[in-house]
Amino acid sequence: MRIVRLVLLAAALAALSCAAYAQGTPAPKDALVYFIWPQNGAVIKGGFWCRFGLRNMGVTHAGDTYKNSGHHHLLVDVNEPLNVNEPIPQDKNHLHFGAGQTEARIELPPGKHTLQLVLGDAKHYPFDPPVVSQKITVTIR
Amino acid sequence: MRDKIRDINSGRTTDVPPRALTPRRLAAIVAGDIVGYSRLMQVDEEGTHARVKRIQRDLIEPSIVEHHGRLVKTTGDGFFAIFDSPVEAVRCGIVIQQNMIGRNASLPKDHWIEYRIGVNLGDVIIEDDDIYGDGVNVASRLESIAEPGEVYISGGIYEQIKHKLVCGYESLGDRKVKNITDPVRVYRVLPDPSALSRSRKRRENILIFLLSLILLVLAGGALWYLLPPLEKARQEAARVLPGVASAPLQSPAGQQAAQAPQPSRPAAPAVQEAASQTRPAPSAAPAAKEAISQPQLAARTPAIQPAPALHEPEMNMLQGGSFAMGSNEDITEKPVHHVTIKPFAISRYPISVREWNQCAAAKACGFTANGKDDAPVTNVSWSDAKQFVAWLAAATGKAYRLPSEAEWEYAARGGTQTRYWWGEELQPGMANCKNCGDVAAAEQPAKVGSFKPNPFGLYDMGGGVDQWVEDCWHRTYQGAPSDGSAWIEGDCESHVIRSGSWQNDARYARPANRDNYDTNVRYPTHGFRIALSP
Repeated sequence: MRIVRLVLLAAALAALSCAAYAQGTPAPKDALVYFIWPQNGAVIKGGFWCRFGLRNMGVTHAGDTYKNSGHHHLLVDVNEPLNVNEPIPQDKNHLHFGAGQTEARIELPPGKHTLQLVLGDAKHYPFDPPVVSQKITVTIR
Repeated sequence: MRDKIRDINSGRTTDVPPRALTPRRLAAIVAGDIVGYSRLMQVDEEGTHARVKRIQRDLIEPSIVEHHGRLVKTTGDGFFAIFDSPVEAVRCGIVIQQNMIGRNASLPKDHWIEYRIGVNLGDVIIEDDDIYGDGVNVASRLESIAEPGEVYISGGIYEQIKHKLVCGYESLGDRKVKNITDPVRVYRVLPDPSALSRSRKRRENILIFLLSLILLVLAGGALWYLLPPLEKARQEAARVLPGVASAPLQSPAGQQAAQAPQPSRPAAPAVQEAASQTRPAPSAAPAAKEAISQPQLAARTPAIQPAPALHEPEMNMLQGGSFAMGSNEDITEKPVHHVTIKPFAISRYPISVREWNQCAAAKACGFTANGKDDAPVTNVSWSDAKQFVAWLAAATGKAYRLPSEAEWEYAARGGTQTRYWWGEELQPGMANCKNCGDVAAAEQPAKVGSFKPNPFGLYDMGGGVDQWVEDCWHRTYQGAPSDGSAWIEGDCESHVIRSGSWQNDARYARPANRDNYDTNVRYPTHGFRIALSP
């Protein structure tokens, strides 16, 4: 009996520490991140201004821990699933907007590209539940 | 202030017909002026002129804009700016003065360009390219009585900022200034509040020490009187102890006390207490010594801690030369262009947690880094990295800085023109990058210097941690300088990062690879290394 209880306790503790590891900054259930522009399937000539929309949450600087607010990340041609236990990567396919930008000038080579927005918390982790936009496809001529 | 009220009472202001084009307003006026400008011009006319222009362009104008001020007028050697906020005005003054310390650090004393700055709050008349009024004159008088490298403020400014700006303020009393009827209350701004308390603390310490000594003598005397003579032998033994405790103080008073025929049990701890309380006094002595040799640095850097030894990053001296910068692999790396690098030194490793935390301990860097001492410091923004180099430069008196992007690539290539510094193909054991063929270390980022150095003896130039450089981000090299200097014109909201990190694949570890990130944002893979001009 005692052993079972100990095992249970250990399991509970392990679960707790896991939970602590994932940032899991809570986001409101109705939070919505979306593209104001471009729309899915848009055909664009040259560079374009990509505009980020966010409902029921606020945009702030990376590093700020105001409740219900985060900053945008634009994922370009990213196929790997989002890992919610790691900061959103930083490379040429994961563009960060930690200064609180809500739009960006994007220049992509001609062809088809996917775009997706992910909202990150103060430390660049996805929220819980993740606040992620629809993945759209644009064609650059 | 009083002037203005009197003006209104006497109705003098109404004598002047209101002019629509010259509105009056209350403003914080900053007046700045170079000390001994004509002497500097004599020493080196062209050089001084070029340097002053550069300072105005690179430091004064941006600092004013950054603090929401307006540059109203520049004279040959000085400037006037107005601010809506007294706090911002004084901050701007401090920023300019602190920056000048860094700029002067590498130069001989007779080439130093030093500003005097005065700040006053007053009613001014603003015209397109000039300002007029009592307030302006007072600011300029304050500036003229300020010591080189100092910011003097008027009482009006002091009242506005005293609780808002964490600085030391030393009152210099009411001063009579030229052509102004009423005396002006003057304060000297000490960016480092401890500089003020330091002198005060030393006085307090001496007082405490003397007080303890008196108590000690009293207690000793009482005991001497009360204790039976049998105890004499034990007293002899006990006498040695306080003598040792007070010896390092080298104070004649202390030696007198030791020789006084008293000490016994309860007295001994009192001496030790006195010794421990006076400890800050000897530690202030090295700071004072530094103040003599480098008055500028010691006075204003929070960095001057009596730390026993500053661990300076190890630097490799590079000879410089010409190389082809960039590659055709990515649009951001084009066009490939020739750059000539002057000799410079660059740190052998990225700045480590240990090195960073010296700056944090001196309260000159924004946060204390976690992690192993030998690990590279991470989660630093470009501004954080700049704070570190400013601190290190001030603490050592050497002009430490961030490398320019060109210098970084030159150093990373190590004299090679291949895709990687070791050749065209990826090889294990060369760089700490993702899927680079090495068993991933248990803890990331791996400690600095875990991988092979490049031909210049530099470690982690590619992979490991991303590294900030001085340059603002430009999407291509179109229009880039070719003299190896940092490219700082244009959009500076983001700066260049180099090297790629352990989270990026091998393409990012190429010496030509470049990326950018928001200037003030921290990210867990971002670190930096430092440079130094000989």
